[in-house]
Amino acid sequence: MAGATRSELVESETSAADAVAAGAVGLSAVLFALSMLALFEGITLSEPVAGVPTVTVLGALLVVLGGAVIAFGVGSRVGLVQTNPSSSAGLIAASVAGLSWFVVAGGFASQTLALGTVGGLLGGVAVGGLAFAATVMTREDVGSTVPIGAIPLLIGLVFLTGLIGPGWVWDLGWAQTASFTAEFVIPVATLFGVLFAGWAAAKAYAGFGARGRRTGAFTLIYLNAISIVAVLFILVAFTVVQGVPGLLTGVEFGPGTGPQTSLFGVSFTLPLSVPFVMNGVALLNDYQGVLPAIVGTFWLVVGAVVFAFPLGIGAAIFLTEYAERGRFTQVVEVATNGLWSTPSIVFGLFGFAFLVPRFGNQKSLLSGMLTLGFMLLPLVVITSREAMLSVPDEYRDASAALGVTKWETIRSVVLPAALPGVVTGVILGVGRIAGETAPILLTMAGGTFVPGGQTVDVIGGFVFTSTPPFVANPELLQATSALPYQLFALITAGVGLGSNVADPEGFRWATALILLVVVLSFYAIGIATRYYFRSKLRHE
Amino acid sequence: MSETEPKTAAERGTVQPLQTTSGETSERTRPEWVEYEFEGEAKLVAENLDVYYGDDHAIKDVTMEIPERSVTALIGPSGCGKSTFLRCLNRMNDRISAARVEGSVALDGEEIYQDGVNLVELRKRVGMVFQSPNPFPKSIRDNISYGPRKHGDIETGWLARLLGRSDEAAERELVERSLRQAALWSEVEDRLDDNALGLSGGQQQRLCIARALATDPEVLLMDEPASALDPIATAKIEDLIDDLSEEYTVVIVTHNMQQAARISDQTAVFLTGGELVEYGDTDRIFEDPRSQRVEDYISGKFG
Repeated sequence: MAGATRSELVESETSAADAVAAGAVGLSAVLFALSMLALFEGITLSEPVAGVPTVTVLGALLVVLGGAVIAFGVGSRVGLVQTNPSSSAGLIAASVAGLSWFVVAGGFASQTLALGTVGGLLGGVAVGGLAFAATVMTREDVGSTVPIGAIPLLIGLVFLTGLIGPGWVWDLGWAQTASFTAEFVIPVATLFGVLFAGWAAAKAYAGFGARGRRTGAFTLIYLNAISIVAVLFILVAFTVVQGVPGLLTGVEFGPGTGPQTSLFGVSFTLPLSVPFVMNGVALLNDYQGVLPAIVGTFWLVVGAVVFAFPLGIGAAIFLTEYAERGRFTQVVEVATNGLWSTPSIVFGLFGFAFLVPRFGNQKSLLSGMLTLGFMLLPLVVITSREAMLSVPDEYRDASAALGVTKWETIRSVVLPAALPGVVTGVILGVGRIAGETAPILLTMAGGTFVPGGQTVDVIGGFVFTSTPPFVANPELLQATSALPYQLFALITAGVGLGSNVADPEGFRWATALILLVVVLSFYAIGIATRYYFRSKLRHE
Repeated sequence: MSETEPKTAAERGTVQPLQTTSGETSERTRPEWVEYEFEGEAKLVAENLDVYYGDDHAIKDVTMEIPERSVTALIGPSGCGKSTFLRCLNRMNDRISAARVEGSVALDGEEIYQDGVNLVELRKRVGMVFQSPNPFPKSIRDNISYGPRKHGDIETGWLARLLGRSDEAAERELVERSLRQAALWSEVEDRLDDNALGLSGGQQQRLCIARALATDPEVLLMDEPASALDPIATAKIEDLIDDLSEEYTVVIVTHNMQQAARISDQTAVFLTGGELVEYGDTDRIFEDPRSQRVEDYISGKFG
């Protein structure tokens, strides 16, 4: 066992040095959250926190963080702290350090010292190479802390000394007048500094070595996962906060306040009035609303799913259960994948050129439904095929051995087992088509039509006649609006609103919020369906 | 016992010089020791059965008679074609597009490899249990009644109830009878509506046997039914097979020679290359094999 290192089997005692490293990890998490907040304008950089400017606070924290990391590394090297470092920090850490120092030094040389591109490159390569060498050639405790910890230290000092303050602007001097403002640069720089320092601190906390690398990697992965969730949450929260005032304009409670509604022939008055979702756009309305667009989007999605679901499942059954695996199925597979990645405007153009002339030569709900159905079809085929292929062959064998025919087997065993997967695919597809604007623009709405003027009544629109085709639905053949189109029209031109809406900005955000809610409720329905079918397959 | 098998025909030729080429097959006479004298009627008769998977000759000219109401074990090393032979007996090989079957198999004297054979009826009469337990992801009750329901033998559900044709009593009876036959009734009688995937492996395999019995078969084919189970579950399955042989003709493929010796009345030994090398009373095969290759295989010298 010559050359093998031995470290302590049990390391239970927490020393003061461990507390420093743990504190550094915690501090980087706090700073990470702060810089995310600053990036999304949750805190304003120019406003002081407890009497101290925000930038100064960030700078001081970064200096403390970088200093703590470096101090820990150096302390470990001189033997003050007990750790188990490897002989080198490794190529990944060295590349990270080298690249960051290349950027920092290159930017400093070319912009601040005005040495130009060549000077910036040379300076960057020199300093970056130095950082790379320093990381690789020293022992891990120094190599993974000093070059990387120096970055937040430097950023912090720049913030503290006011070199980069809230009013700072870096004008790139391009023709397009592009510039970086402090509002963007400070949070992003803090974010990077924090990620580096947190990584180094996590390694230090676990005592370097293999354990240290693992802890460092985990810390980075957790921070990334959290930031993804945070971005999602911020996006939704942003839309909600901006949209709620517009949504709640003119809301009234109490009996008799709502609009007259009839359901299955029974007429009643709702005890609640939310004009934004209960009104259309009309001259005499007290408050304008988006009811026609909501109803349009709903019927659009329903129509597309009703069209694409049976066709897609049928095609998938044929491809997986009946067609021989071979050239033909491969061609179909490639074609469906290609169809799914076809730009939506191409589908829209197809609907405009092919469907619109065939359905009354005007833009209509039916054309929109079919166009979106065509868009949804490839995804239904792909996901249904995947789901059916993942049904174990043992089920098919068992069913065949009982003398059950192929079709009965598909119907009673394969489809129920594949249904959760199919539903998942359709949910994803619905999420996409519900937000499509381009195909709707070309096939269903726009032109002379004022968006949001009229609510489509598909169920009430059926007319029965004594001559062929016996049933007709003029409502389906009329142009109508949908939420994404409404939003598009509102933003580009403010079409159809005129001076009727007091707060166009709030109206737009409320429309966006409603679109989000409609799409999310389709998601919710889909997820509930999937759980229902899945619970029938599982024994839990 | 080696698990490898010769890859190419040329290799096989060198390993087994006895092999004939296709031109000579028809002239070759079967060795006499394949003949097996037994009392009673033959349930299944295979004659000159050949199976090919593409170019691979998986079973070579197998002829054997399987007596009714008994347990016939098929043993042999991996890849010797015993499972393939078993799957010929209810035409499950039809489901493999590359498989080609030549020769004849008769059930009660009726040829099953001819035009116009009703596969539904054949598989109702010749049931099958697979190597790994494969209950459907449905309730225990639905697993049992699946076959008869799909055959239209019993009708259930709200539509049948509405039309007054519901056979729920018959279904209950069928489920109880099948589960009792498979010695599973007492363990599951109070949870028939639970999902079958919640049962243990051994229970699942007995459920699969019950499911096969529910279509009222005459022959039960079992493809290594206990290979995925622990010794206690295996013992239960073996006891069950013993009981079943009073009423049904059981053909069982097994890797386990002790198991074959314990439960079977007659044993057929397949050896590498897809040949049926010896077939006879189980006791005789294990105590006094006539072929040197079988003796080597049974004593563990050859795989």
